Amino acid sequence: MLVGLLINGLVSGALYALVAVGFTLVIGVLDKLNFAHPEVLMIGGFVAVVASGLPPYYAFIAAFATGGLLGLVVEFAAFRRFTDADAKITAGLASMAVGLVLTDLTQKVFGTESVSLPIGGGWLSRRFQIAGVEFLNVQIVIVLATAILTGGLHVLLQRTRVGRQIRAVAESPVSASLLGVNVLRVSQAVFFVSSALAAEAGLLLALRSGAASSDIGLTFGLKALAIMAIGGLGDLRGAMLGGLVIGVLEAFMFHLGLGRLSELTVWLAMIVTLMVRPRGLFSSGTHGLEQRA
Amino acid sequence: MTSVLLSVTDLCAGYGPIRALRGLTFQVAERETVAIVGANGAGKTTLMRALSGIIPLSDGEASFLGRNIRGTSSHHLARAGMLHVPEGRGTLQTMSVEDNLRLAWEIRPTAVTFGEALEKAYGRFPRLRERRAQAAGNLSGGEQQMLAVARALVNRPRLLLLDEPSMGLSPRMTGEVFLSLAELRDDGVAILLVEQNVRRALQLAQRALVLSHGVFAASGPSDELSRDPAIVASYLGQSHDAPPDNKRHIANDPRR
Repeated sequence: MLVGLLINGLVSGALYALVAVGFTLVIGVLDKLNFAHPEVLMIGGFVAVVASGLPPYYAFIAAFATGGLLGLVVEFAAFRRFTDADAKITAGLASMAVGLVLTDLTQKVFGTESVSLPIGGGWLSRRFQIAGVEFLNVQIVIVLATAILTGGLHVLLQRTRVGRQIRAVAESPVSASLLGVNVLRVSQAVFFVSSALAAEAGLLLALRSGAASSDIGLTFGLKALAIMAIGGLGDLRGAMLGGLVIGVLEAFMFHLGLGRLSELTVWLAMIVTLMVRPRGLFSSGTHGLEQRA
Repeated sequence: MTSVLLSVTDLCAGYGPIRALRGLTFQVAERETVAIVGANGAGKTTLMRALSGIIPLSDGEASFLGRNIRGTSSHHLARAGMLHVPEGRGTLQTMSVEDNLRLAWEIRPTAVTFGEALEKAYGRFPRLRERRAQAAGNLSGGEQQMLAVARALVNRPRLLLLDEPSMGLSPRMTGEVFLSLAELRDDGVAILLVEQNVRRALQLAQRALVLSHGVFAASGPSDELSRDPAIVASYLGQSHDAPPDNKRHIANDPRR
């Protein structure tokens, strides 16, 4: 029972972490808050609906590409023009507008009710047991996908040319450009990757709940924002760990019969954490991109 | 006949309404080392920033390898071979020594492999090899300046813009840095150097321009300038290189 709860919590936590990592990547590298991020998560769920007839890995590729392309759109529409230090608020508002447009368009196409996935009763919802603990296939898929995606992000940042350029821009855009780094390209890469992760999270979330709904951005997605704040702005470790901890906490609160109240877990946790540590659990306070994912 | 790398005509630049630079004209040819000397606040850093595209020109023209600097972004200039080592060295503090070097190599991959370029840089600065995995921010000031020069070694720029390489360094470390700059110069890298340490700058450069209140007050071959009584009186009167005894302790950097 307890183990089952823990697993449920970790699975939710992994999804929170995926979204929070994307949020925090944009903050850590570009010092920008992308309010369209939760809606890209939401779109990821509808990719699951559209791709439901196809083999599952098509859905994963489609979600990655869709999310990434939406990230490029968001960068262009909401952030590219607002580069001054005092234009950050404008950019945040613009990204919120893009997010609302995405929600409205989705509702126009799929309606306001949640759309259930035809694959809901298939292989993903089968159960199996290890040492008396029951698992669902979809839980394994979520944990594995999260591990692969965040591991991939870690390798990208630490071991590749693009990653070095991203870290250089995170530290100093001016120093980076003096070394020949195209800051705009790096910016696009960061939005692409960050949004692709959000869309994957949306896809996985839809697979778990067996449905896609257009209000998931405001419920699930915004929680990731709080988790990012708990972990420390711009800190990948913080986002990962924060996601897992909140996921588990929430599962236990729910189990204690707090029902809808357990939805408050993350917000209360954020308030308490930030009262004790205003910069979050890990952040150095510079919004710098911390190295480990 | 050597070709012109950098050509500057009537350049004006500054921050906001302040015109720190008022009509500068000069050229830097291939394989040439030119020093721009002058007091603090003369506009030396502003000039460097204007040349590498960090701040816009307010008037005049400047071109690097035929590219108009006005319409070219910083990273394009860097990829074309203009490496600007800014004041404070521009090393990436959170990245390891080796990642700093790799980044500089990747942006402008030369004929040699990264391994060879790295060997050359470490051969010149063995201390950097010892600290290859450390974050650049953990290095001493002198080591960071070494890293900045080593970056130029692996990047092989056509033109190296150096802003105050001696800043914050002990006289001994300054000597070491200028020695490696002389090697770069002898390797054929053109250098445009801005420096408060006028004696050192004149020793390194073939030619110098004296910047004063945003205009060039004098110019000529370094050896002529270093004999010019007016220059000696204003800039060489007090040597930066022979510190009085009460400054000796700076040379005894504990990390050495």
